[in-house]
Amino acid sequence: MKEERKKMSKQEQLQNLLGKLRAALPELREIIVASADGLPIAQLGESEIATRLAAMAATAHGLGKRIATTTHLGDLMEIVVRGNQAYFIAYAIGDKGILGLTTPAGSNLGLVRLEAQEYAKRLAELL
Amino acid sequence: MEPLKVIVTGPVGAGKSTLIRTLSETEVVDTDAAATEAIGKATTTVALDHGTLHLDGHLLHLFGTPGQERFDFMWEILSQGALGILLLVRADRPDKLPAARNILDFVRSRAPVPYVVGVTHLDRPKVWRPEEVALFFGTPLEQVVGFDPRDPAEAARPLARLLELIGT
Ligand SMILES: Nc1nc2c(ncn2[C@@H]2O[C@H](COP(=O)(O)OP(=O)(O)OP(=O)(O)O)[C@@H](O)[C@H]2O)c(=O)[nH]1
Ligand SMILES: [Mg+2]
Repeated sequence: MKEERKKMSKQEQLQNLLGKLRAALPELREIIVASADGLPIAQLGESEIATRLAAMAATAHGLGKRIATTTHLGDLMEIVVRGNQAYFIAYAIGDKGILGLTTPAGSNLGLVRLEAQEYAKRLAELL
Repeated sequence: MEPLKVIVTGPVGAGKSTLIRTLSETEVVDTDAAATEAIGKATTTVALDHGTLHLDGHLLHLFGTPGQERFDFMWEILSQGALGILLLVRADRPDKLPAARNILDFVRSRAPVPYVVGVTHLDRPKVWRPEEVALFFGTPLEQVVGFDPRDPAEAARPLARLLELIGT
């Protein structure tokens, strides 16, 4: 079992982690991992929007960090874009990248937050 | 004093962020992130640069764009309300001129306002002279300014030219 784990490529391990996150929060639609400079690293969901979402997640996160420093908010914890039908939420994966999610308006945001932060930590170890 | 919005755009590494850092009189908003591709430098802009500058009796608000095409939505957002466009290109990278033209066309289709082409990296070997860059863009030579965005003594030159063209 351990041997098998080792043989999994980084991409497979990433995909595997995203699959577990989706299993923990089945209502999630898009799940993407992007580098801080906006390149897609891994994704679950519609592939056409994933590439664009990766760039936008990096933009939102880069700008969010500057808003946080300019207005003395402390360290940036999350970015939330709230539409009337769904949310886009992004978390830093250490300084290695960004985890971006979309989830419907009725979602339990507290739970999404907890799980997403936990998975961001695991992703940071992997990247 | 009416602030005048200028968009500073152009391909990766042309010197957009450098220019705004050199010129701004207010604390610069910069949003560079570590580059994961080989782009010839450590960081790249992912959202925008912002700085302000008093020049020839005007207050300029400089909005720098990302250069990478995947951030083209920022070209669109930052074009809104721009009264002038400064397009930066590297004299030593003529291979990037088509990308620069693409950005210029994109921005001008959203903001049909005067523009200046700023030619950077003229100190490097094997460069295209401003006259050649002007020919490439089909732009009158007086709208093309060679300069070094790292040098505080020169960095405002293309903007001074842009102000003349805007004619305010
Ligand atoms: N030799 C030389 N170097 C220059 C000149 N102008 C700018 N540079 C350097 O070229 C690099 C330009 O980097 P940036 O200012 O980050 O470029 P940018 O246009 O903001 O790039 P992106 O945000 O990635 O699209 C910096 O390392 C500058 O120091 C020049 O005229 N000559
Ligand atoms: Mg830049």
